[in-house]
Formats: sequence, C-alpha cells, structure tokens
Amino acid sequence: MKRTTSFLFVLGSTFLIAPSYGDVPVTKWGKPSLQGNWDFRTVTPFQRPASFADKEFLTEGEIEEFEAAIIAGREARAVANFDGEYDQRDLDVGYNQFYLDQGTTMTTTMRTSQLIYPTDGRMPAMTQRGRETAAYFRALQSRSPEGPEDRNLYDRCILGFNAGPPMRSGAYNNIMKLVQTESHVAIMVEMVNDHRIIPTNMSGSNLPDDMRLWKGDSRGYWDGDTFVVDTKNLTHLSRFSGTGQNMVLTERFTRLDENRLEYMWTVDDPEMFEDKFTAVVEMQLTDDDVFEYACHEANYAMPLMLSGARKQEASGEDDDTWLPSWSR
Amino acid sequence: MKTRNILMRFACFITLAALLHSCSQEDSINNATSDSLDQLNEHVMPDLSGIWQAVNTASWNLEGHTASKMPVTAVLGALGGIPAGMSVVEDGEIPYLPDALLQRDTNRADWTNLDPVAKCYIPGVPRSTYMPWPLQILQTDTEIFVAYEFGSNSRTIFMDRPGTEAPIPSWMGYSLGRWERDSLVVNVTKQVADTWLDASGNYHGPNLMVEERYTLIDENHIQYEATINDPDVYSRPWKISMPLYRRIEDNARLLEYKCVEFGEDLLYDHLRKDYDGPKALDGSLRE
Repeated sequence: MKRTTSFLFVLGSTFLIAPSYGDVPVTKWGKPSLQGNWDFRTVTPFQRPASFADKEFLTEGEIEEFEAAIIAGREARAVANFDGEYDQRDLDVGYNQFYLDQGTTMTTTMRTSQLIYPTDGRMPAMTQRGRETAAYFRALQSRSPEGPEDRNLYDRCILGFNAGPPMRSGAYNNIMKLVQTESHVAIMVEMVNDHRIIPTNMSGSNLPDDMRLWKGDSRGYWDGDTFVVDTKNLTHLSRFSGTGQNMVLTERFTRLDENRLEYMWTVDDPEMFEDKFTAVVEMQLTDDDVFEYACHEANYAMPLMLSGARKQEASGEDDDTWLPSWSR
Repeated sequence: MKTRNILMRFACFITLAALLHSCSQEDSINNATSDSLDQLNEHVMPDLSGIWQAVNTASWNLEGHTASKMPVTAVLGALGGIPAGMSVVEDGEIPYLPDALLQRDTNRADWTNLDPVAKCYIPGVPRSTYMPWPLQILQTDTEIFVAYEFGSNSRTIFMDRPGTEAPIPSWMGYSLGRWERDSLVVNVTKQVADTWLDASGNYHGPNLMVEERYTLIDENHIQYEATINDPDVYSRPWKISMPLYRRIEDNARLLEYKCVEFGEDLLYDHLRKDYDGPKALDGSLRE
C-alpha cells in the first residue's frame, strides 16, 4: 500500500501520521514495504574482471557496451557448431544457451562487480583450512558417485544454486518472493522452492550451537529503513563459495523506490577466509510469478548418475569427467 | 465476531476523535462511503497468522483405522507402528466410484513404494495441512503465504486475482482465496495427479478441485474444512474437517524438515556402491 493512499482513514489520520519515504511504499505499521516478487538477474560480474582493474563504477556508455558484448557472446554461442568428439562445452554444463536466463542488463548500481568489499572487487584469500576443505569437496565431487551424498546440494535438490543464503544471480530462476507481516518476513526463492521464515524483531532465542539448518537460523530487525537479517547455524555442507558452518551472514534489504530493492550482504567466516566479503545488487520488482520449482520431484539426473557410476564399476571403467569442464 | 466488534468500536472512536461528531456502531456503517466500508472490512478480517498444526492421524488414513504395522517395525519396533484414528471424512467413508475404489486398494497394497510423500515429493492440498509437521501462515491483504515445515514446501493463496487460472499444473496447485464473513475460503485447482491424500492409497485424478475453509473459532484454534471434488474418481463431492491448533509455546517456530536426504534412501539406496540390501539402524546387515 502506498503512503499516499488513504488507509489512515480507519485509524484516524489526524493523529497518526507516519514519516514520509518519498516513492517507497509503506506498510500499515509504518515500515517500508519490501513485499513483492523480485528479479535479481544481472550480468554484472560477481568479481571485478581484470579488465576493469581499479575501476569501481562504469559510465552509462560503458554499461551499454558491456551489456552489448554479453549479448553478442550469447548469440555467437547459440549458433556455434560444437564438435561432440572434441568439445563438450555445450553439453556438460547441463544446458545449452536456450535454457539459460541470466538477464541482459547490469545491476543499477553501475558498479563493475557485485562484490564491493574487499575494495578490489575480488574474493579474499582462503585460509589454509578453507583451501583444504575446498579440496576435500572437490575431490568428493570429482569421483564417480558412491551415493547421492557424493554430489553437491544443488544436484540433490536440497539447496538452490542461486538461493544461498545469500542469494546471487545464477544460470536461471533468479526470482524471489518476499512476503511481509509486522512480525515475520518470508523469503522464497524459486530455486529450489523452499523458504526462510524470519522474525522481524529478533524475537525468541537463537538456536543452540548444535542445531544446524541447511539454510541457517535467520533473525531480523529494522535498522532505520533497512531490514537486516543475521544468519548463522548453517550445516557444514551449506557451502556458499567455500564458506563453512560457522559463517555469519548479514543481509540488508533497503527499498530504494517503487521498483528497486537494494540487497547488500556480508559474509564473515574467518575460519575459511582471511577477510570478510560484501556484495550489493539492486533487485527489480516484477509482475512475474514465482513458479513451483519441483526440483527433487523431477530429479532424473540423480538416478541416472548413480546408475551410470554402477555400470562403469561393473565394466571396470574409470571416469574422471564427473566435474563439468568449466570447473575442472 | 468478538474481534470484529472491538475493531468496529475502535474505528468509531477514532472517527469520533477525528471528525468531532458522535456515532454508534450502526451509524458509523450507515454513514460510511462504500470505499471506507471496504477499508473497514479489510481491517477486521480475522488474522490467521501464526504457527498451526493438526493433531490427528489423517495423514496416515483419512478414514477411521485401527493401529497397524509398518514395514519398519522390524527395525523400530513399537516406534514403527501406525497409530489408530477416527475418520475425518464427513459420513465416515470416501465415496469412490467402483473402479476408483479398486485403484485405491491397489495403491494401498503397495503404499510404501507408491506413496509420493515417502519419496519426499510435495504432498499437495489438502494433505500438506494435516501432515504431522507444523505450518506457518503469513497473512497480507494481497496474498497469504503458507509455509510448511515438511519439505520446506510452501504455497501462495492469491487474494487479489479472482477468476484467474494457473498457467500450468503444479504439485501444490493454484490457490485463489476470498473472505466469506469470517472464513477464509480457498479454491485450489490445477494440482498434478501425482499426489495422494494420505498414506493409505487414497488418491485423486488430474481434475481435482479442492475448496478449503479456514475459520478462526477462537484465538488458538482454526476449524479447517476441505471439500474434495473429482468426478472421475468420486461419486460426489465429499468433505473432511478437523481443528488446527496454534503452537503456543514461546519458542515455537518452523524448523526444517528437508526430507530429500531421507527420501534418497528409498529412491536411490539400491544404486549405492556396494549395495547389499537394507540395513539395520546401526549399519549392520539384517538377518
């Protein structure tokens, strides 16, 4: 409901005047409305490309140029003739260009990367433990799977590859539904059709340390006009770009205007990374619906992978292609 | 109704203070414009927000049933039995068409292999409501979000798009809500035929239509009703009803039951390396 509407009729407008937020819709209880379906697709790179070096922001002309180059690259790829014998790149990513939905525009921050800290726009170095843990999971997922647990949580449909937390634009399904009441906020990302229910006033106590959730224990509060969500108590498998179970995530949601929601998040995980890292994008309000992404119900890949692995064992074949070529 | 009266009186008081003229409750309604009445109504609807849970055995069998064994009693003993329960079906039994009843019996005979929920598939509506896990309702004017702990599933009840249809079928279907006095009425259509109504083979076809009715009968209880209609399967529409209980403990919250990791054992165990048959809980091979 917009600030300019007359809902205050019922409450008595003479003595209940809430502060003005300009173009920002406001809830009945006086907080900025965050509710809606939000599109977080972007072609803004997560890390700053080397070509931008120390450049933090782009001009409008540079943005147009960057977006045009992305589109041209996709068009070229869509009509490329791949040689199945020598070049598997179009196959082993799982999808060809037709199925990808990564957006065509940079996020409206006009930044060269989503990462804004460290200030070079690049991920901080991993600790030794971070590197060792990453190597363990890489080896696990490189081998012929002995069971579903050998595959990552995205293959298993337990977490969405772009849903985090935190959320980050990925190959497709980059849309989030946010439902807001005075006491709770629900965040449901299409990928993979699951939710977080977040109390808005830090009510109740945090979960004890030994209770771990795939999406963590999220609690929220208002910092002025910004809704802040702290998340911890993740599992050791809920790895976001190499984080571990002791990651502390802080997300900040700020409604900028009718159509934009600033989403800024910071990961603090000194066990796995030498420094914190922070990213920001501006999500766009959309009229599109969030569809039911019934991932597990249609997970034909898992039994096929396991069947294939068992057949290879039976025939004595070794196979080192369980990681797609782009991640080897 | 008590809540409605209190809010109407509050609205009158506010209007009195603001407009400096007296009004009774009736005067207030009579003098209000239709727009303001709409707004008044919008603000006195019952608030269903909260954490709720069915306390019955309908998820095992909607119809009356005595306690029985499950295949896991060899491992879990007394923990692996199905508890007895009274029917939640109006008139006691589901009015199947003759051929459909045979299909139900076929389902029942092999339910542990066939029940979609055992595989951690989305239970659909109404089964999601009476699964033995809580659900949480977040109520807003335009949509009501229902989050279920089982599978971290959810659905949206759209309050602002009457007459629309789902573009595609889905496991949870397409839910359109409206208020009828103090009851939230939800029409659910376009559910895939893959869901069951319970763990006893009770099922439906692709033309299932469900009309749910949520009525807040006091602060901590919702009377839940669902009228189930599928002319391909049943001889007439039939109704289930049960209370939903508010979880009133201070630390009540929806946790995760991401059942994929459990369904994987049923779906993929035979595809594991060195699979040698079902094991006891301690990992040893059973005799």
